[in-house]
Amino acid sequence: MLTIMRFTFREAFNRKILLVSVIVALVFLALYWTGIFYAVRDIERSQNSILASVIYSQFLLLGLYFGGFIVSFLAILSSAGLISGEVESGAIQAVATKPVSRTGIVLGRFFGQGLFLAFYAAVFFAAIYAVVRTLTGMDLAGSWRAMAVFSLQPVVLLSASLLSSTLTTTIAGGSVVFMLYTLSVIGGFIEQIGWMINNLPLKNAGIISSLIMPVDSLYRKNVHILLKPQADDPLASFQQMGPFGSFAEPSMWMMVYTLAYVAALLMLAVYAFNKKDLG
Amino acid sequence: MNLAVETDELTKIYGDKVGCERICLSVPEGQIFGFLGPNGAGKSTLVKMLVGLVRPTSGSARLLGKPLGSLEARKKIGFLPENFSYHEWMTGRQLLEFHAALYGMSRESRKRRIPLVMDLAGMSAAAGRKVRTYSKGMKQRLGIAVSMLSDPDLLFLDEPTSALDPLGRREVREILLQLKERGKTIFLNSHLLSEVEMICDQVAFIKGGRIIAQGSTVEMQAGSVVVELQVENVSDALMEEIKGISKIIGTGRNTVRAAVGSREEIPRLAEAVVRGGGRLYRLAHEKLSLEEIFVSLLREEDPDC
Repeated sequence: MLTIMRFTFREAFNRKILLVSVIVALVFLALYWTGIFYAVRDIERSQNSILASVIYSQFLLLGLYFGGFIVSFLAILSSAGLISGEVESGAIQAVATKPVSRTGIVLGRFFGQGLFLAFYAAVFFAAIYAVVRTLTGMDLAGSWRAMAVFSLQPVVLLSASLLSSTLTTTIAGGSVVFMLYTLSVIGGFIEQIGWMINNLPLKNAGIISSLIMPVDSLYRKNVHILLKPQADDPLASFQQMGPFGSFAEPSMWMMVYTLAYVAALLMLAVYAFNKKDLG
Repeated sequence: MNLAVETDELTKIYGDKVGCERICLSVPEGQIFGFLGPNGAGKSTLVKMLVGLVRPTSGSARLLGKPLGSLEARKKIGFLPENFSYHEWMTGRQLLEFHAALYGMSRESRKRRIPLVMDLAGMSAAAGRKVRTYSKGMKQRLGIAVSMLSDPDLLFLDEPTSALDPLGRREVREILLQLKERGKTIFLNSHLLSEVEMICDQVAFIKGGRIIAQGSTVEMQAGSVVVELQVENVSDALMEEIKGISKIIGTGRNTVRAAVGSREEIPRLAEAVVRGGGRLYRLAHEKLSLEEIFVSLLREEDPDC
């Protein structure tokens, strides 16, 4: 398993999608830095501390939200063919005939790719954090916890991609995971609207989408770790955090569920790959 | 006699399609075994079952005395897949390092074996280049190097020379004969019957997923002698006479190729030609080639073939 894990980690650095993701991330961070820089300059001139607390929070969330997008896209596009790509090209035939168990192959792929994605996400989070901290001077508590939760987002998508990769083709699997991710994002928004207007069906729709793909709930958790919204009133929270805020903190059980979700999908991937004919 | 490969009623069914059906093979250690058959006959399916890529529907097999799929057996097996596709972002040397790690080879063993197999496969000069820059033939050579990396006791080669030029094919044949001299067993899937004939000790023919014949090449070729007749005035009656004592392999303008059971039947065949009114100008005999055995077996199974 360790050989496959090391191989997968090295392979990740050789994918073209990584280069594209790094370029997109750099462009994003440059724009992000520029936006915050000029906003801070104007706000400091007006010396409006209330406006500063609202705008700075919203900038932080904007960074985390769209940073999460970039990390998620990388996770889906780089993981969709982890198994299926090898099966389609035939490269798996020389690997799976070696004295390595199929379980070891799947776990090695997961941990190698998971380590790479978590590392990429952590660096991205650190960059967003550094831009916000340097330019606004915001004091953010729980940044290490938030970094860990942010890094878990691509790992959740990886587990779904890996399972789909053992079951179907790269394009079909990647499309399914992308749709699940979209469902999670839209479900997250619906849930927030549900909290804002206190509508139970909308809240439940969001919860169900989080159970199907718990990526958005990780983002919402991060909002609470970093900003600790004070207002009990959702509308006041909306004013504080803007459209990327979170009006209800996902519970600790949701975090446990997310970890169990990853483990369950990984076990299913191992099971499916052990049953699969490779040729 | 120890068996390197032993299968018992090994079967693979894909939905309603037969991949392989009730395959019973025994390959003794230290031999080169040729596995032959037309496209889609089930050759690759059997090899994929033996190396653990495809799960059998039923039946069992043992490789080097170990049950099919055992990791112990895989340590002693080398495999060259038919499509020899490898990770193209690596260099040839890195790829061999990776496969050596998969075998769990020690650092000393890797240092010794990697340059050796690269050299044997004629790939030393390209070892530092990315696999994506290799030609098809170079990739196949790299695949051969990978398959020999752990110095396996049993080597499965699926069409190992399909992308090589005549010189490359000859080199591979020589490598295989050297491996045989060292007591290694080679299971060779190939379309190139002349090649198989040159190096294989035993062969099996498969068609429609079933073994239709197997035995040593010497035995198979000893069973028949091919006679080529140059005859004029060939009539249907004459052809019937010839068929009565031989098996017609092919006919051309004034030529008939027929197989008889032994050299002693050649004079009888000549007499039959003369008796049937044919004018015999030339008669030559030779050993039946593997290709002719193959074609004749296929015709027996399917006369329209």
